[in-house]
Formats: sequence, C-alpha cells, structure tokens
Amino acid sequence: MLSRSHRIDLEMFEGPLDLLLFLIKRDELNIYDIPIAQITKDFLGYVELAKELKLHSAGDFVLMAATLMKIKARMLLPVEAEGDEEVEDPRTELMNMLLEYKRYKEASSAFAEMERHERPHYYHIPVAFSPQQEDQTAILEDVKLYDIMLTFQYLLKNFEEPVTHAVAVEEVTLSEQIGFLQGLLQSSPKLSFANLLERFESRLIVVVTFLAILEMLRNRQVKVKQSKLFDDLLLSRGSKFEN
Amino acid sequence: MIYFYPEGVNLKIDESKQIVEALLIASPEPLTEARFKAAMGEVKTKAPLKEIIDELQTEYESSNRSFFIKEVAGGFQIVTKAEYETYIKGLFTKSGKLRLSQAALETLAIVSYRQPVTRNDIEAIRGVSSDSSLRTLLDRKLLEIRGRDEGPGRALLYRTSSEFLQYFGLNSVKDLPKLREVEDILSEDQEELL
Repeated sequence: MLSRSHRIDLEMFEGPLDLLLFLIKRDELNIYDIPIAQITKDFLGYVELAKELKLHSAGDFVLMAATLMKIKARMLLPVEAEGDEEVEDPRTELMNMLLEYKRYKEASSAFAEMERHERPHYYHIPVAFSPQQEDQTAILEDVKLYDIMLTFQYLLKNFEEPVTHAVAVEEVTLSEQIGFLQGLLQSSPKLSFANLLERFESRLIVVVTFLAILEMLRNRQVKVKQSKLFDDLLLSRGSKFEN
Repeated sequence: MIYFYPEGVNLKIDESKQIVEALLIASPEPLTEARFKAAMGEVKTKAPLKEIIDELQTEYESSNRSFFIKEVAGGFQIVTKAEYETYIKGLFTKSGKLRLSQAALETLAIVSYRQPVTRNDIEAIRGVSSDSSLRTLLDRKLLEIRGRDEGPGRALLYRTSSEFLQYFGLNSVKDLPKLREVEDILSEDQEELL
C-alpha cells in the first residue's frame, strides 16, 4: 500500500537523484550525513510507485534502491581499519553524485530562463529564390554525419530483401567497395546513392557500400551533399581523392 | 559622394549599409566577420562591419521598426521584437516554438559545460537513461556528434552546435552562466540547516 506522502507525481522527478534531492530538502536532511535507513525506506516507497506506474525510468529507480540498501548494509557492518588507512564513509560516493547532479540541475534552470528570454524573438530563415539555380539538388552543403545516418536508415527501409531460394555466400569486403566507388567516381564526378542502391541485390552489399562511403568520407576521398533530410545523397570527389 | 581607396572596388558609405542589410536578411546563419569578408570579396566598405551594424541599428530604432539586430553565435542576425510574438505565433500550426523538457535542459547543460561528452558521461551525472533527450536535441540541431571517444567502445562524442548558441541567445560558450562550485552549494545547504 502506498502512503499518502508518496502520492506526489513521480513523473515530476527527473530520476532517482532528483528524487533523493527532493527528499533531502523536504525532510531538511544533512547532505553530509544522510540518514541512510530513513531515506532508503522513503525511497523504496517511490520505487514501488514507479513500478506500478510502469515508468520507463523504473529501472533506474530500482538500481538506486539497490545502491541505497548496499550502503545501509555496509554501515551496519563493523569497520576494520587497516593500518593508517582512513575508512571511507560508504555514503561519500552517493553524496558526490548528488552534489554533481545538483550543479547541473541548477544550471538547467538558467538554461530554461535563457530559453524563456529568447522565445519571443523570431528570425527569418532565407530560402534562395532563383529558378535557374545551377545545381538545384545540392543545397545542403554542410551535411552532418547524423543526417547521413538518418538518410541511410530511411533508404534501407525501402530496400526489401528479395525472396531467394538458393543460398550462396556473398563475399564483399569494405576495401572492394571502396575500390568500386573510386572507379565509379573516376568516370563520373557525381554519383547518386539511390541510383547506386538499384544495382545491388542484397542488404549486405548496401550496408558494406554505405560503410565504404563513411570510410571515404573520413579520409576526405568523397564529399556528400544532400538537398534536404532523407533526400538522396550525392557523392563527389573529395579533396584527398586518389586517381 | 564616392570614397576612393587604394585597392579594390570602392563603395559609397550609404551603399555599404544597404549591402550589410541585404546580407543580414539573406544569410542562413548569423553574419560573422568571416562570412561578411567572404561575401564582399574584393569590395571594400567605408567602415568596419560593426560600425555599419551600429548605424543600421540606430536607424531601425529611430524609425521604430519591428525588428533589431542581435549579436549572437559570434555574428549578427535580424530578429523580431518580443512584443510581436503574439501575432507571429499565429503563423505556426502549434503554439509557437516548442519548449525543451526538463530532461533535455539537464542533458544540454551537462553537454555544454563538459563537451565533448559521451552518453555515458551524461547518464552518470543524471542517473537516468538520456537516450531520448539526446535524440530530441540532435533532431533540433542543438547538439551535434563530433567524432568518437578514444577509450574502449569508442563512444560517440556530443557537443553543442551554433544553433545552440542562437537558441539561447549566446554569443559563444564562454557566455554560459557560471556553473556553481560544489563548495558553494554545500555552504548554502549548511546555512539552510542552521
């Protein structure tokens, strides 16, 4: 049974550390000297609630509950000091975690304040107006790796594995596909990734070819352009392209 | 009146202002000194960019325009005044800009002070899985992936983008509010207790 004090909207806490900070503040506890038995008891009540509410972060609460119980057990055990070594308080690590989290939580409210301040200001995102643009497809010059990954994921979705009955081992290596792409780029300066995909029959080759592109991108052998997110990737020779 | 300069093409002072204004309106990102120079090429303006910006700013103020020039992300950008938000909001299907959740703000705070960081670094501080807030922040382009950690697992490294500066109205990460020292928090807590 849940006591009334647990009926706080658990979802308002950002996780177990946030909840612990709340309990410490509410009960005016000393963060240097946290009464572990008391706080563990309170915390467990919330964990039950988290499980009941099927919060997606319930696992994190359970983990913290285990940590608290471990600390509690260690505090009950008699400590045997070895030599001059000072015995560390079992609560120290938890205290440090709480303090570190508190710093960023405080900073996040400063961010919320800055956001509130900037929200009412709008700026204009210009769109180039020129119907005879030379290369209409290459608008996004600054394609980020994340965009490329998203696009690949999207393109791969359309790439259904054909139903085949004979099983054959396909041998395709990264260096083979790099060589293959280099050959293609030598004969044509621009390549469409979507067109490239049409040549392949298996997902494996598609994936290896994509890895080859990433590798070549890293070595500056290719450049990738995209007109908008999820659009085709346009490959061209990079600054370190080898002939 | 035309001002002559020893090299390059020369411009009348008034035209410099128009050019800077045009660049401010057409620039997809805040107009920095470097982008301004690249756009101008051989052409020389009468005064440095900052002075021309100041002149435009004064002009906008005195003619009571609905916008002003904001210094942000190391450059300049034209933004609307706060008082027109009510009307501008109506242009968007949802209720204006979406605010970031507390989880996203915490994640962003950790990245901005400790960048570059891995997801593990973030989760160690927050004590909760931060996957979905990282994804939101990447989708909104406030964070970007910059390489991988050298350590085992070669985890992805996250850092803030220039859109992040724009979003929070900052000129650079140096302008972030100072992170409080642990000692300050402790002494304050002790005071509260006494």
